[in-house]
This record gives sequence, C-alpha cells and structure tokens, in this order.
Amino acid sequence: MSQVAVDFEKGAAAPSPYVPKMARLLEAEQMTETERFFRVALEGEPLRYEPGQFVSCMVFGIGESPISICSSPTQGDAFELTVRSVGMVTNALKKFGKGDRLGIRGPFGNHFDYSAMKGQDVLFVAGGLGLAPTRSLIRYVLDNRQDYGKVTILFGAREPKWLLFRQEVEEWTKRKDIDTRVTVDRGDASWKGNVGVITRLFRQIEVDPTRTYAVIVGPPIMFKFTVLEALAEGIPEHRIICSLERHMKCGVGKCGHCQIRGIYVCREGPVFTYEQVKKLREGI
Amino acid sequence: MLPLVLNKSDLGAWIEALAAQRRVAAPVLKETSPADRTDLKFGWEYIADPAEVRLDYTVTVLGPKKFLWPARQTVMSYQIGADPRPTAVLDHEPHVLFGVHPCDVTAIQTLDAAFSKDIADPHYLARRADTAIVSIDCAAPCDETCFCLDMGSLYPEAGYDVMLTPEGNRFFVEVKTPLGEALVEKAKVRPATKQDMQARQKFAEEKRGNFHFQLPFEVKYLPEILDASYDSLVWEAIARRCFACGSCNTTCPTCYCWDVDDDVAVDLTKGCRVRRYDSCQLDPFAEVAGGENFRKDRSSRLRHRMFRKGKYILDQTGRSGCVGCGRCERACVADISIKETFIQIAGSR
Amino acid sequence: MARPVLMFDSLSCCEGCGLQVINCETDLLPILAAADIGRFREASDGDVPHYNVAFVEGSIVTSHDIEKIQEIRAKTDILVALGACATHGGVNMLKNFQDPDDVARYVYGERRAWVPHIPARPQKAEVKVDAEIPGCPLNPAEFLEAATCLLMGKPFRLPNYPVCVDCKLADNVCLWHKGVPCLGIVTRAGCKPYLCPSAGHKCIGCRGLVDKPNTQAAKDVMAEFGLTVQDVLREFRLFQGIYDEVSKEA
Repeated sequence: MSQVAVDFEKGAAAPSPYVPKMARLLEAEQMTETERFFRVALEGEPLRYEPGQFVSCMVFGIGESPISICSSPTQGDAFELTVRSVGMVTNALKKFGKGDRLGIRGPFGNHFDYSAMKGQDVLFVAGGLGLAPTRSLIRYVLDNRQDYGKVTILFGAREPKWLLFRQEVEEWTKRKDIDTRVTVDRGDASWKGNVGVITRLFRQIEVDPTRTYAVIVGPPIMFKFTVLEALAEGIPEHRIICSLERHMKCGVGKCGHCQIRGIYVCREGPVFTYEQVKKLREGI
Repeated sequence: MLPLVLNKSDLGAWIEALAAQRRVAAPVLKETSPADRTDLKFGWEYIADPAEVRLDYTVTVLGPKKFLWPARQTVMSYQIGADPRPTAVLDHEPHVLFGVHPCDVTAIQTLDAAFSKDIADPHYLARRADTAIVSIDCAAPCDETCFCLDMGSLYPEAGYDVMLTPEGNRFFVEVKTPLGEALVEKAKVRPATKQDMQARQKFAEEKRGNFHFQLPFEVKYLPEILDASYDSLVWEAIARRCFACGSCNTTCPTCYCWDVDDDVAVDLTKGCRVRRYDSCQLDPFAEVAGGENFRKDRSSRLRHRMFRKGKYILDQTGRSGCVGCGRCERACVADISIKETFIQIAGSR
Repeated sequence: MARPVLMFDSLSCCEGCGLQVINCETDLLPILAAADIGRFREASDGDVPHYNVAFVEGSIVTSHDIEKIQEIRAKTDILVALGACATHGGVNMLKNFQDPDDVARYVYGERRAWVPHIPARPQKAEVKVDAEIPGCPLNPAEFLEAATCLLMGKPFRLPNYPVCVDCKLADNVCLWHKGVPCLGIVTRAGCKPYLCPSAGHKCIGCRGLVDKPNTQAAKDVMAEFGLTVQDVLREFRLFQGIYDEVSKEA
C-alpha cells in the first residue's frame, strides 16, 4: 500500500472528470414497455471504448445515470445504449428521440477480457437487461468469429414482452455458427419457445469445461443460480465472468456509491470473475 | 533553516498581515448558551479580527475540512435547452487555515491522496493548491475520545506549511515549505536561542508524556483485525444502537463520499451540478435504480464505515482513513465509539 | 406547451404555509412568468374550472374539508399537500386526544352545532396526494424547489435522511449531549436554514419521520436520559407524523 503521489498544481489544472461531452442521438427506439434503445454519437471525437464499459448519461436539469454500453467498438464510431426507465433520469430519457442531445461522460470501468477468451469456447448467459452489457461482447465475438471456438448464447426474460433485441436475437438463433437459446419464465398465447428459468437451458447444451468461459450477466438471484450451473458443468471460478450493477455516480472512484468492500466498481469493475466476486462477499 | 520563535504578542499582527492576502479561517469561541456544558465550544470559522483566533482550542464539531471540501460545492454549470454548454466550475480563492491540529493535518493528507488517486479531482485540488496550512501542535490530548497517538496522526511528517509549537509566551515556528517561508516573512520572528531550544525540548518531552496509547494492539494490525471480524455478530450488536443518522460521516475529517444534485433556476433557463456530502450510513446510499439495496441493514453499513476508516481507505491511498480525532464518537447520540469498536473486534477474534 | 395553471387553497389551518409561499416574494416572479394562477385564496379572488397543480395547505377537521379536498382533487391533475397539517395532520391532530364535545365547546362555542366536526386527519386520508412538502411552516426554499421540479417535469423528492445531517453541517453541538431530548434523530431533514437546534431549540418533528427510522434505538437513548417512551410521545405528539409511527411499537 504505497502512498498516492500528490501534486496540487497539476491536479488543480486537470480537466474536470464531471463535465460531460455533448452527444447526439442517431437512433431512438422503444424496445419494450420500459426499455429504450439509443444509438449515440459524440459531437467531435468518437467515443473510444471496450466491450463491458459504461457511460454516464446526463439529462441537463434532471440528472445523470450510469448506463452500460450495449454495442461493440467493432460496430463503428457510434455506440449503443439500452436504458430501462426506473429513475428520474431514465424516465426523462424515455422522451428522447432521434436528433436530441444529451451529455455523456466516460467510458468508465474495466472491460471483458476478449483477448484471454481467444481460441476458447464462450458461453453467454444473460437475464433480462443483462443482455445489454453482454451484447457488447457478443457483438465483438461475432465480429471476430474466427478467433473463438464454440459460441453459445442463453437468454432469458420474465415474459416474451420483456425480451430485448428480439429481432437480433432471432437472427442469432438462425445462425449455424452459434447456438442461441431463449427462454421465458412465463409464456403467452403467441410464445412457442422454451418456458422456464434460464438454468434449465443448461440441460440442453454441451459444455467443455476445460476450454469454456461463461459470461453471466443478470439480476443477482439469476446470477447465483446460474453460477451454480456453470460450476456444476466444471467451469473453473476464474473463467466465470460477470458484470455487477451498482449505482456508479462519479465514475472515477471517488463518490463511494458503488463501493463493494475495498473496491470501487466504477474503476475496478464492473466486470469481475466469480473468483473475485466470491472473495468480495458483498458482491451479489 | 534556523529555528524561529514568534512572541505571542506578535501573533495578531501576523494574522492581520496574512489576512491582507488570504482569507483566514481559524478556531474561534462560538456563542454558547449558559446551559452549554460540553467541551465543543469552539468552531472553525472565517475570522474578522485576529483577536478571535483561539489557538488554545480543543475540539470542534466540524474540522477545517469544510474549507477544502465544502458541504455543497458546484462542479458544473449549464444552460437548459437545446445548447447546454456544460462548463466546469472551479471555485477557489487564497486561504490560510490557521491553527490546524496535527490530526486534521493528517486527515487533509488523506483527502489529498484520495482526490489525487488515478483521476485527479480539480475541484478539490484547486482549493487545496490555494490553501496554506498553519498547524498548531498539541501539548495534551483534547479529551478522552481522541486516540491520535495510536492512529499515527500526532506527529505528521508533512501536510503543513508552518507548524507552531506553543510554549509559555512564545511559539516555535517550524517552516516546512516554500509557501510557509513566504507566510513567515510577514511575521515578526526571531532566531531561536539556546534557551528557546531547551524549552522546546521540554515541550516535546511533556507532550510525549501526556499522550498514551489506547488501542491494545499496534495499529499496523488493524486491517487484519478488521478482516477477521467481518462475520462477527459484533456489527449487529453495535448497530442496534445506531440511528443511521450519518453524524459520524458528516463530522469525520477524512470522509469524502458525495452525492450530486441538479439545481435548476426557478426560471428554468440554467442549472448547475452541486455535489454535497453523502453518508454511507444513510439507508439509500448503496441503493441502485431498480430499488435493490446492497447494504440495507444498519449493521452492514456500520461495518462498511469501520472498514473504510480502518482498512479500505488505507488500501486505496496508503493513508489512514481514521486519524483518531474522536469527532465521530463525540457526535454520536448513541455513543458508538470507533476506538471502542476497534478494541472490541480485536478481542472478539 | 400551454402555460400550466396553478392554484393555492387552504383547509383547516393557520394559513401560515400559504403565507410562507407569498413570503418567497420576488422568487415567485419566475414561476408567475411561467405559469398562471387559477386561484390563490390567501392572495386573490377568482377561480377557474381546471388546475394542473393544486397546492393545498391544512388538515381535515370537518366534513366540509372532505368535500372541499375532493372537489379540488377532481379539478386538478396534481395535488401537492403543503405543510405539516396537510401532510401529517399537524397540530389539529391534538384534538383527537381530547373529548370531542369539550373541543367543540371551546373552539366553536355557542354555534358548535353549525360545524360538522370530525376527528382530524391529513389530506392523504381522504384523497390521493401526489407530492408532500412537510413542515410547520413549510420551508419556502423547498416549496420553490418543488415548484421548479414540477415545471421541469421531474419528480420532487424529499430528503431521505434525518435532521442530524444538516444539524452537524451547521456545526451544532448535539442537543442530546446538552441533556435536551431532540427528535432530529428520527425526523426527516429539509428544514434548513430554519433548523430549530441552530437556535438552541430541540427538533419537535414537524416534518414527520425519515424512512426507516431506528425507533428501537431512539427508545434506548431516551431511556438512558431517564425518559419513558410515553413521556416522549406526549411531548412529540404535537405534529402527529412521528406519534403515529412510533406509538405503533410503543
């Protein structure tokens, strides 16, 4: 624990990490009753980011909210966000449409280690809104398909009406080079697919635990049971990857809101291995 | 540099000379009611008259932190409408904090490190860069709650520009930095004599004799002791008394967690982002947008604070999150003591 | 967007909260520039058939009050309860702890039969209330903030922390440590800059309880000061908001 070097003059002249850059919405689409999709471009220099990182979205006069980037840098200069309207800022974003401007800070946090996964099998397990951060890596892997072994995507939601990226997921299910399976906890009249919790999909797939990375993102309860399945398949703890949700307010490891024990999720996360999460104790 | 001495009778003139160039904040006697029997009769304020400065002060509710890290600070302003033009607000002017105790000098060093780590926070550091610190040495503990000797904050190795040591009718003046040198140029100091140096030696010996270690273990073991206590029921037991009122955080000289408000002018033309103190003891602190609260029990929040003070901040910055000033204990209605808690968990291992 | 129509009215109360709104003086001008006032009982005559936001002070102590608040509710999109009487029942609730006939006699005198008096209650007991600005009287700064939020179209949120936070920030020595039992430990903050402890007076809980107060710890602390819960409840019944919650567990 070496002491942090302090330089007042240099620090005083540093750019404020709390002032957003202006961005414009290239696309805006209501995906479900509560989730809205945006394709965003910074005005000026494009955003340089990695799969798994997040940005802070600022609605001037209302506030700021941390949102996972759901696109991959392989998709071009703009980036994509999936926003669930649950708070003041995200509800305000519900009214935002193509051409509207908002403030963006970031990208913040670490990212999915796609290099380490090269040559390996990747098993994606996403529950509900968990598909948003997962999609950033899925898109990256699909855009570099030749670098990866077997790719499996398991996606679950409460009901069919809550399934995100429906059209895109449907295209994934048609692809022969990946195995995509979707389930809902409760079906409806039009639903012809799997019904049941996401852990059941594990029964349908083959996993080679010696060469598989499991990327699991979803609500805490789903994470717990899915990790259990992954461990039961024999996947080692350090190859079970997740992205944790916390309320990152500052994004730069100061404000304390996202802290789990000694670590700031906004800096050292949001991507962790199960091995790390297990040691944190307060992780899930 | 030759050791210097300032006669106490010349202190006022020095402060007045400093006030011509910088805003002077110092400990002063606050208005108190006749019924007020507590020791907390001093407070840190901007002074209008050097005679107000009370370098013989003991404890204060809030420390000098509030001048560097104000309870509310505007970090950005913007327009409402099509063209927001967000602009950083760096709000600072030359200050001198006059009469900072060694514990607070140490605490400010912790804040300096926290705001410099990884990504510098210019809003804090601009104020810090513009602030001179004149420290006043302590001859004896302020009261029974402080344990600065244990926490290593009684003898700060740096973090001040000038250190004054009071002895009889004089102050020994130790100049630590070039800024301190500039400050002392305005003071009617004289070189210390041999007799002065003997008196100073006597002060140091008496000081050492007046402070006693209060923790039954060396503080370097504190992080380990905390780690081992993680699952102890002691947290739940202490939290039964806790109101989760945040008084401990609000008064702590090293706490720096914050939340942000967007203040909008009533005419809806412009707004600003204002950060304000937040407290990890308050219920919504670790809540996420969907409503899940990752520290919903008072016991987990209380444990989090104790770990931050004794371990996490140290791990992050290399500087202690607790300086043993005793403010949190003094502020606590339920008499929860960080010192007693550290002692208790060491015993409950 | 059409200019929003605001209204201000009063049920049974001292109308001090309405006065506090008027006390905002020039700070009200931007609101008047952005919105129309459909009715303001404390300041002007006249009425309109529909309001976007109704700010109503006072509690319900007669059946006339019920009719009035229902009428307002039917005419407004948003109802904001102003002040302790409106949000928690306020001092009017004291009558619920006395003989109703005695109360009627000394309040309404000879003509008490003309008044259909009923036990006192807050507005939310009778109609849906969309937002509350508590306090006796309300804090004008908080009113302005709520009005700004409504005009911006964002929800107005009360502070969810106890008075202690603002009290410590005011550099106050805790009144409990001076031997004065103070309700700041369980009372919702937001009264700043009208913080009673800054003037040496204990907090009497006029803003109601903070969410999830540790009432058990409050009782323990009170016991250490030689007070029984009943002692304290009697004293702090004044604004009812605290009494209701705490008495459940007493």
